[in-house]
Amino acid sequence: MSLTINTTINGTPVSASAEPSTSLLEFLRDTLEYKGTKLCCNTGECGACTIIFNGKPINSCVTMAADAIGAQITTIEGLADGDTLHPVQQAFIDTGAVQCGYCTPGYIISVKVLLDRTTKPTAEDIEEAVSGNICRCTGYTKIVDAIQLAADRMAGRS
Amino acid sequence: MAKAEYTVLGTSPARMGGVERVIGKGIYGIDLALKDELHGGILRSQYAHAKIVSIDTSEARKLPGVHAVVTAVDAPDVRYGRTYIDRYMLAKNKVRYMGDPVAAVAADSPAIVKQALKKIKVVYEPLPVVIDQEEAMKPEAPTLHDDMPLPKNLPEGVKVKNVCSYTVVHVGDPDKAMAEADVVVDEVYETKMIHPQYLEPRIAAAQVEPDGRITVWANAQAPFGVRTDVARLLGVPLNRVRVLSTELGGGFGGKASGITSGAAIEPICALLAVKATRPVMIVLDKAEETISTTIRSGAKMYIKTGVKKDGTIVARTGKVVYDAGAYSGFGAMAGARCTNMLGGWYLMPNCHIDGYVVYTNKQVCGPVRGPGGPQAAFAVESHMDSLAAKLGMDPVEFRLKNTPKAGDKIVGVPKLRDVSLDETITTAAEKIGFKQVGAQFIAPALGKNQGIGIATGSWIESAGPGGGAVVKVNEDGSVTVHIGKIDMGTAPRFGIPLIAAEELGVPVSDVTVVNVDTDASPWDAGTVGSRAIIVSGTATKLAAIDARNQLFKMAASQLEASPDDLEIKDKQIRVKGTPSKSVALATIATNAHNVIGEVIGRGYCDNLAMMAEEKAHGNSPPFTTHACIVEVSPDTGNVKILKYVAVHDVGFPIHPVAVEGQIEGATAMSIGQALCEQVVFDNNGRTMNPSFVDYLMPTINMMPRIETTLVHGYPGAGPYGAKGAGEIACVPPMAAIANAIYNATGVRIHKLPLSPENVLRGLKAAGKA
Amino acid sequence: MDYFEPKTVSEALALLAQHGAEAKVIAGGTDVMVDIKYKEEPGCLVNIKKLPGLGAIQANGGSLRIGPLVTIHDIETNALAREKLPVLWEACHQFASLQIRNTATIGGNICRASPSGETLAPLLVLEAKAKMAFPDGEKTEPFTSFFQGPGKSSVGAKGLLTGIDVPYPAPGSHGVYLKHAVRGAMDIAMVGVAVMVTTNAAKNSLQDARIGLGAVAPTPIRATKTEALLRGKPLTAALVKEAAAMAAAESSPISDQRSSAEYRRWIVEALTRRGLEQTWKAATGKEVV
Repeated sequence: MSLTINTTINGTPVSASAEPSTSLLEFLRDTLEYKGTKLCCNTGECGACTIIFNGKPINSCVTMAADAIGAQITTIEGLADGDTLHPVQQAFIDTGAVQCGYCTPGYIISVKVLLDRTTKPTAEDIEEAVSGNICRCTGYTKIVDAIQLAADRMAGRS
Repeated sequence: MAKAEYTVLGTSPARMGGVERVIGKGIYGIDLALKDELHGGILRSQYAHAKIVSIDTSEARKLPGVHAVVTAVDAPDVRYGRTYIDRYMLAKNKVRYMGDPVAAVAADSPAIVKQALKKIKVVYEPLPVVIDQEEAMKPEAPTLHDDMPLPKNLPEGVKVKNVCSYTVVHVGDPDKAMAEADVVVDEVYETKMIHPQYLEPRIAAAQVEPDGRITVWANAQAPFGVRTDVARLLGVPLNRVRVLSTELGGGFGGKASGITSGAAIEPICALLAVKATRPVMIVLDKAEETISTTIRSGAKMYIKTGVKKDGTIVARTGKVVYDAGAYSGFGAMAGARCTNMLGGWYLMPNCHIDGYVVYTNKQVCGPVRGPGGPQAAFAVESHMDSLAAKLGMDPVEFRLKNTPKAGDKIVGVPKLRDVSLDETITTAAEKIGFKQVGAQFIAPALGKNQGIGIATGSWIESAGPGGGAVVKVNEDGSVTVHIGKIDMGTAPRFGIPLIAAEELGVPVSDVTVVNVDTDASPWDAGTVGSRAIIVSGTATKLAAIDARNQLFKMAASQLEASPDDLEIKDKQIRVKGTPSKSVALATIATNAHNVIGEVIGRGYCDNLAMMAEEKAHGNSPPFTTHACIVEVSPDTGNVKILKYVAVHDVGFPIHPVAVEGQIEGATAMSIGQALCEQVVFDNNGRTMNPSFVDYLMPTINMMPRIETTLVHGYPGAGPYGAKGAGEIACVPPMAAIANAIYNATGVRIHKLPLSPENVLRGLKAAGKA
Repeated sequence: MDYFEPKTVSEALALLAQHGAEAKVIAGGTDVMVDIKYKEEPGCLVNIKKLPGLGAIQANGGSLRIGPLVTIHDIETNALAREKLPVLWEACHQFASLQIRNTATIGGNICRASPSGETLAPLLVLEAKAKMAFPDGEKTEPFTSFFQGPGKSSVGAKGLLTGIDVPYPAPGSHGVYLKHAVRGAMDIAMVGVAVMVTTNAAKNSLQDARIGLGAVAPTPIRATKTEALLRGKPLTAALVKEAAAMAAAESSPISDQRSSAEYRRWIVEALTRRGLEQTWKAATGKEVV
């Protein structure tokens, strides 16, 4: 049975159909062609599919597309301002925190939510924000650098 | 900061390809969507070892929406493999592990694929299963490959089964030397299977073109290997197959189809596309990957070393029993590497190691990040601390006593040109907090239940498969580089553009490194083996110089100078010392149309020349030392890493941030193998933890900051003295952590992972908990 | 797969009655979506997130009323929950990842009835009560009898969890939730131990001791023999040791791909000991001697 999903993605209203069993990740990637949000474990264990849903970071792979009706969703595609990258995006590039880049969109989303809340994140804040994001390439060291650099820039400290 | 003699080499500009990754462009294999594509799926064996009695696909074929169902009968009767040609892409007669592909389906939707797979009726006759490689070696073990011979070089009188290959290392007279040693330590170490768990699932997509050629898209590390496999297994000439590489979301040696008989999803996908007469795309599920694709093997290592009272090592004997998995894959090569490295990288005057690589009913060994090395180092470097303890020496002093010097030989390397090992040891010791007093190294004062450990490592770098590069200078002076290696966060888009930019005097942003198209790119073994900077870097340098020479030859007459007097700076070709005599690079490049057609530089990495150089002057391997401080919870066995340092010799780091990134990432991967990763099996050969719920990869909260230090002054075989950096940091971490646990608790853990359970067991067995 | 978004509890109950075993309730979806993809797609999916009045946390005199649709993160960020029910708060704080906590509901965690469910041992120790709705009326039951086996609870196939009533612990009570994992919050708990003690007025003996154990039996359990051993006594090192050993003996863990039964028992012992030491110190200001 087909459902009509009316939702808002990156500020733009969209309307498309989905099955009840369709996950929000499948809806974004396969129906709406937003490829930036990534498919990895498909079970809510790795954070590659993280998006902002009504202001909160969630795993879109274990969320129903049906639950997106009436929601405000932000994906990685919605962060840059035209050609100007969001400070978190820029910081990830500048510190070498992007190797293969597959975890990157999920990370940037999680970090953006964190830094919108505080530009002085403690080690605990960072751990809370991104413990659910797995990276296999970087060993996390340069990701922590990126978070710090983005925080400094967003706070005007650098 | 670039070295004074270079413009861009040694700097760390933003990664080529960074922007599209941070804004979420769909560049990976999994983001592909072909027009009119069908979805493909693979039916895998339900038994770890069984005869296939019959396969009935009739019900599956009838299902509406199914366009093709294939089994071994639908493909040519051809096998593939690495060391032995021992594997069908779809199992024929027998299955040998639970991930073995038996059939495949192409259908309109993933849901129909799922239904169709369920309708394929396979009748199996189960056979006895063997999971452990030592059990599999016994003469009474079930035979996995009836038609594969035992290795010809097996020692006389050795009665074994299922041995895929045998390596022996022999130096001097180890039995005699061991008998004369003052102190002998005899130990056994064991590592478990881990999966590389790159985040992007493997895909394959294929379509038959109007002219009958097959185009295959792959997120594979070795596109030319994929081409070879597809052509071979479908029985078509190489020029009738074109492989296009997508960007990769990680690989680590696990996406190296063609280098190993790993997963063969590309030939299966191509076969489906041919039978369905429509494009087909297969996307593996991550849990499916864990059970079916190539892995890092477990190894059982027996190691016995004799030393003199003064700490000099005099002899080592040992045995490696390396798990190949169900097919030969990369097992023989990884096992040989492990066997060689069990002889260590210290001075070893007498040594005998037997190495057996053994078939088991499990996933197949692949060239996963430093294959064989981390396993060997876990044994060797843990063992070094056991020796030091028995001698009453500190672990740093003991190691320094046995390090080779320039001109020495070590197992696997007949002559060392220069040796950075000492400097990495003393640097790591200092950075972790040891204080040198005379020849001794005193550990810092630590808190309760805390310990400090070091471990060294090497990666036997020697000439491997070569590769080429083509550098085109376009009419506007921009540069396009073709190499045969793909990008997964490694040299191709970090260091390679710098080399082209340096030699051609153009800004890095004017250089594009294109992805691999086997129709157009030069052949390459693939992005494996830490060889991207060495092979593609050398080739790119030579190709860029070749292109530069063509430009200079054309510009020389216009500038009334000899080509040798010219240089390129800021996109101008000019006479050295007389910058006013110049012509725009773009002008010469455009004018090439009238002279030579186009500026195309060609280069290749000359394997034989490298080997000759090494033979004449010696190797300079990329040594490393890691050190860490851990805290052990004596009541639960949990281990927390408080501080971690990694000291590396990478020769000249062409892109330092990229090199650090490789070191940090490889270290983290082995920290995972040390603390939490393993593939767990039941007695039937079923993987019990295929998904990320129970295959535990390290999360940020358990990872220390990895403090990287590079030592300098030991140029390597790569361009400008570079050495490969992708794998070596995988080698020491497990032993460094095990040694720190030993230092904290007095308990030596011989088996990985150093999970809380294994650590607590060790503590309880020693009466310490 | 049929799909329904009932607007009232009775509508939801009617659907469950009608579809029986074919129906599956979905709230946050972090468990059920995985089931749909990798196990069986149910005949019909009943999305209860539109049911009104089930998503609030309300102070109710001496207790906190938590609606089943309240997310784990909602509890984590609720000042009252943190202040009054630290045992439950701590479990929520160690629950998977932030992404999961923003979606997963406490009702889902409860009705999933997994022995290792993070919030379950705390609910047992807090002596919280489940409010349920059935076609034939409402029912309230303490969580201590609510769980019947892995995946089995009093809600059953026909009922709905409509509320969680958590009394505030008695004054002078202190509780901790300790999760044993290899990595941390991200892991499914290998063992979960909730300890709550209430000291006497003189703060020199245990008026009450409650120990909840997760992931070491077919359901979360209270270590009742251990509690009886502790009640009324001053907590000494010897008593802690005895109690910890008894708690381990009261557990009946299995061996699985995560760990062996033997190891889980060791951990029950270790975390019970730690829990008693920590709560005693919080209550009395003194170390156990």
